[in-house]
Amino acid sequence: MRFGYNSMSTISLSQVSLDFPIYGANTLSLKKSLISLITGRSVQQQENSVHFIRALENVCLELSSGDTLALIGHNGAGKSTLLRVLSKIYTPSMGKVNVQGRISSLLDLNLGINSESTGYENILLSGLLRGMSRNDINAKKKGIAEFSELEDYLALPVRTYSSGMQLRLAFSIATSFSPEILLLDEVMGVGDASFMQKSRQRLSELVAQSDIVVFSSHSTELVRNFCKKALWLEKGHVKAFGLVDDVLKSYDAANSNPKAHG
Amino acid sequence: MNTNTASISSPRTFQLGPAISDLQQGLAAWRIWWALGWQDILLRYRRSQLGPLWITLSTAIMIYSMGFLYGKLFKIDLASYYPYLATGLISWTFISSVINEANEAFVENAGFIRQTCLPFSIYILRLLTRNFIIFLHNFLPVLPILIYYKLAPTALGVLYLLFGLMLLLSIGYIFGFLLAILGSRFRDMKPIVASVVQICFLITPILWQHSMLSPKFQAFTNFNPFFQLTQLIRAPLLGQIPSTLTIVYCLVLALAGLALMIVVLARSRHRIAFWV
Repeated sequence: MRFGYNSMSTISLSQVSLDFPIYGANTLSLKKSLISLITGRSVQQQENSVHFIRALENVCLELSSGDTLALIGHNGAGKSTLLRVLSKIYTPSMGKVNVQGRISSLLDLNLGINSESTGYENILLSGLLRGMSRNDINAKKKGIAEFSELEDYLALPVRTYSSGMQLRLAFSIATSFSPEILLLDEVMGVGDASFMQKSRQRLSELVAQSDIVVFSSHSTELVRNFCKKALWLEKGHVKAFGLVDDVLKSYDAANSNPKAHG
Repeated sequence: MNTNTASISSPRTFQLGPAISDLQQGLAAWRIWWALGWQDILLRYRRSQLGPLWITLSTAIMIYSMGFLYGKLFKIDLASYYPYLATGLISWTFISSVINEANEAFVENAGFIRQTCLPFSIYILRLLTRNFIIFLHNFLPVLPILIYYKLAPTALGVLYLLFGLMLLLSIGYIFGFLLAILGSRFRDMKPIVASVVQICFLITPILWQHSMLSPKFQAFTNFNPFFQLTQLIRAPLLGQIPSTLTIVYCLVLALAGLALMIVVLARSRHRIAFWV
């Protein structure tokens, strides 16, 4: 299936926990923080304290080249937080994260897209942000113009595009640079019916080219198509981890049982 | 008095390694911050009919009208006042914009920070690039004044100017970083900093000359960091050599600031993504 095991990518998480800080309104104010520091007490405790929410609890995970992992679970279960830990955006409060390999995270397709700049300028900037050189980017330009079907529109500012055109551009740029480790957050096909078909095709190519793929999704159909393994998160805990069919079976069973709602 | 802040405390970690490598990787990624800084300038051009002329023209109007008005008000010889004001004003514009914009450097880039793992120093370098390019635009209307009053810098003066620019940029980087971290944690920094900067403008010799003060107040003003920072650029442009005091003061400021910035970055780098 996949070609090029020339680089060995690995992901290893051991006992990773992450406390997400929630700042009360007054703690975001320098004036109010200084006043409560000087007076030594505060009137509204609730507004003045920093609270922590345990977003991930004791997550252990080992992945190596060839693995495709789906993250499943309800909204707020910690899927996106885990993807951000893997992308090294969030540093965990406890535990160790070791990621070997060039990461590309498609957490937000619109990353680096500036609506005042033209399509071509956005292609250049997005490429630079992903660590490419100008020559590499110029080589990709034509492909992006063709795939997004935007062609001449690329010389116009992005704000003049329809929302569908903007998505097509963002998707085409984001999927043009092949990474070793691909992290996807709910990104599976965009646009109208015909472009959706094309974008799914593009994604499956990208998945095939990547060493390790981790993606979060609510669609069990996509999870089955793309992934061999699955990790079921619930309130930051790992509920199940294993082969995709086994995990999905217990996940579906839990969700169909009205007593054990998530 | 019992403290009832009921929260799980996050471990207070001090991570020096990631802080240092953030600074290194940021400098190495010059392609990114250079492109982002240029993008900011290009978009500013595009928004105005005059294009690149806009920045230069507004500075020119300010320098020439203010120079004439205040020169008459203070009854100073324009040959001495015009160059002093023009060179001081463009240095001040650079310093104050870096300070004012630094508060929001991370908040503005929250989209990048939450979606991708780039060194934080990139956003500071983007801000410096943008403001340095604006500084070069602002320098154009100063040139005729320097030529008219025959203030051509010597070779040594040019060396001092380059040294001064490097030092000013480094100090901007160091303190810009500190302000950006503080500004992402405390959201009311912007108006506080803006009013402090406004007061500093009035107590720093820019509209008025240092030599107008009595010796006692001159010595006092020597402690004003904004005066010494302005002198780094103004003195060589006026054909003078910056005083030893200016150079030592700024070097000490840079080194002390760098130490503080690295400590603060090591303490807070892993938290910025949660703050923005």
